[in-house]
Amino acid sequence: MVGVLMGRRLPLAVCFVFGLVMFLQYFSEHPVAINLNQTILDYWQIVFAFTLIVGIFTYFKNNVTQISRGSDRPFRLVGLAGFVSMPLLALIWGIKADTPFMWMFENVQAPMQSTVFALLAFFVASASFRGFRARSLPAAVLLLSALLMLLSRSNIGGFFSEGLPEIANWIRDYPSMAARRAILIGIGLGSLTTSLRVIIGIERTWLGGDK
Amino acid sequence: MSTAVLIFCTVSYHLILISVAGYSGWFNPDTVATLVASLISIAIVLFTTFYKRGGAAFKVREIAGLRAVEDAIGRATEMARPVLYTPGWGGDIQRPTTIASMNILSHIAEKTADYDCRLVYPTHDPVIMAVAQEVVKESYARVGFPDRYRAEDVAYVSSSQFGYAAAVDGLITRLQPASIFLLGTFEAESLILAETGNSINAIQIAGTDSTIQLSFFIVACDYTLIGEEVFAASGYLSGDKSILASVKAQDIMKVLIALFVVVAVIWSTIEAISNVPLSEWWVF
Amino acid sequence: MKRLEARHWTFLGLFVVVTITMLLNIKLEMKVSPYTQDMYTYIESLPEGSVLIISFDHEASSLPEIRPIALAVLRHAFKKGHKLIGVSLLAEGTLIGYRLMRQTADELDLEYGRDYAYLGFRPQYIAAILAMGESIQQTYPRDYLGAPYEQFELLNTVENYNDVAAVISIADGSLTTHWIEYGQARYGVKVLGAVTAAMVTTYDPYLASGQMYAMMGGLRGAAEYEKLIERDGGGARGMLAQSSAHLYVILLVVLGNIVYFVSRKQGGGS
Repeated sequence: MVGVLMGRRLPLAVCFVFGLVMFLQYFSEHPVAINLNQTILDYWQIVFAFTLIVGIFTYFKNNVTQISRGSDRPFRLVGLAGFVSMPLLALIWGIKADTPFMWMFENVQAPMQSTVFALLAFFVASASFRGFRARSLPAAVLLLSALLMLLSRSNIGGFFSEGLPEIANWIRDYPSMAARRAILIGIGLGSLTTSLRVIIGIERTWLGGDK
Repeated sequence: MSTAVLIFCTVSYHLILISVAGYSGWFNPDTVATLVASLISIAIVLFTTFYKRGGAAFKVREIAGLRAVEDAIGRATEMARPVLYTPGWGGDIQRPTTIASMNILSHIAEKTADYDCRLVYPTHDPVIMAVAQEVVKESYARVGFPDRYRAEDVAYVSSSQFGYAAAVDGLITRLQPASIFLLGTFEAESLILAETGNSINAIQIAGTDSTIQLSFFIVACDYTLIGEEVFAASGYLSGDKSILASVKAQDIMKVLIALFVVVAVIWSTIEAISNVPLSEWWVF
Repeated sequence: MKRLEARHWTFLGLFVVVTITMLLNIKLEMKVSPYTQDMYTYIESLPEGSVLIISFDHEASSLPEIRPIALAVLRHAFKKGHKLIGVSLLAEGTLIGYRLMRQTADELDLEYGRDYAYLGFRPQYIAAILAMGESIQQTYPRDYLGAPYEQFELLNTVENYNDVAAVISIADGSLTTHWIEYGQARYGVKVLGAVTAAMVTTYDPYLASGQMYAMMGGLRGAAEYEKLIERDGGGARGMLAQSSAHLYVILLVVLGNIVYFVSRKQGGGS
């Protein structure tokens, strides 16, 4: 029990102290505060590197377990092949330009990622076809704004009217921006209260679910 | 927790003293406006959290997407299909949205454990995975079904944005989940995931703090939580008074910001009309 | 074989439209927007020899859009005689950034270490941005190729953001926000964005509030910039494909509404 309690209390205390220190150092330009900030940031990067090990280990373990159970075998085998081959190439020949690792990166990984990214264009088309319906007056206004924006962001907008880009920019700079600012303020306040709850220890989900 | 309040008050008092006296370079005068705004905000949050939460319960307006959570899980159970929950590629564990998303996950995990429905949680971040595993495990234990928890269902898939998108898309296509929860910080992968979910006719409940992705979710998902609703959601679902108190604090701060904006507008209008430069204390 | 659904036809239509447009060689005239003009004017107005940090904050996936944007900005900055320091906050942008800097520098026979330097990638972008505010050398003790920081003439003149005119974040996601929230807000460094089209509206509030100094966005921004610097970098051609896709989506929206109203008239609703 004492161990469990310490297990919760210690991270909570560390979180509180570092939360407070990082908050305070923001307002200081004293060399001590600057050095402290720099040191904490260095450690932050080091800790992050260790967290990757957790990901690598569980990815490998999960896939091997699933393959042995026969679930999604082809996909998992391809995943594991990439998982093993890329670090091997990096270890043997390094990761600078013109190495096998970079060849794989440029000719396998990058095109595959671009392909998935490109799906977005197709999904925008299908979502627009299905979703943009003038069901009500606000929906019709939204639809009209979207069409204006689409026209203005292509170089054919100018053919219809010289003023089209100006109208689109106005929509972007005023009604759209006002709505986004309101949402951003709400998000900012939500972030602030959540962060404070974490720092003072009443929000403990990040410790694994103890409310 | 009163210790935290005490520390806050002491620190604030000394901060103000230092800022007023300008002690030998310890305080950066350029940050005075930020300091004042921060202290006011913190004071409001602490006040509502520690003094108001003891009173009557706060009422949070109905959020359609959250009302639908139970139906979505019930549907998955009836169809004997899993529920898929993913927090997006844009967040890490220190991001408040991810923490808010964890609170919602905790609630959903309790329900899926109760209904004996499989919960699949792919993520791009090993730390999020570790925390989510604990959250789900504890939720399953809380409702009395620790044996139904499957650690391999809460998995790290890839740190790369479109590697993650492809992995989650693959899971959606193969597992055909009946309900999909997209709650967290999303970037360009949002529409790819939401449209794939739509193509298999899953009920989709989404919520994000990424303003640009909200439009995609609104088009492709059944319910969308907009920005701060994600933060309110955990309080709404759990009824936790401290979370609801912080929602109240947000409202108080919003009113103050609105008043501040009105004063600043009047101030700058007078300045523009009279052509006399006034103090710019409010600019930061 | 499974029957094709409506969405599959829309996908196929888009593929056909974009492919045909890419095969055509049409040159469309366009007006330079005030946003792109501001970005150009800022770089143009800096005194020769000003130091700029170019941060390649993108993944490989967005290269078709990022490449023309980056080429236009780099060519302009190098041509004006500015000194560029390249960094990357996303691992995948590292090599791409290095290649683009090298390519554009070689076009003008510039010398590595004197006219430009490339520091490469640092993990944990927030920590990296904050750390550079204190000391760039401590954040990057060595350059991308492994040589010590102090070995280069250019880097010896730069300690932190105080010695830098601005940071230009070339991004396909929200990383520019961190440059604004930490680099600009904490250290007061000017932040300019060269971002993909999808991210433009995300940064509008920062641009309007002055937290972001200038921004160019998407293939359109790249095409406009190419017009300003009178140098082709693929933006105009990409813009043609994008314009055709936009027209196609407009057509789909109109078609979707016709289907909706017809079915509603027939009592089917939607």
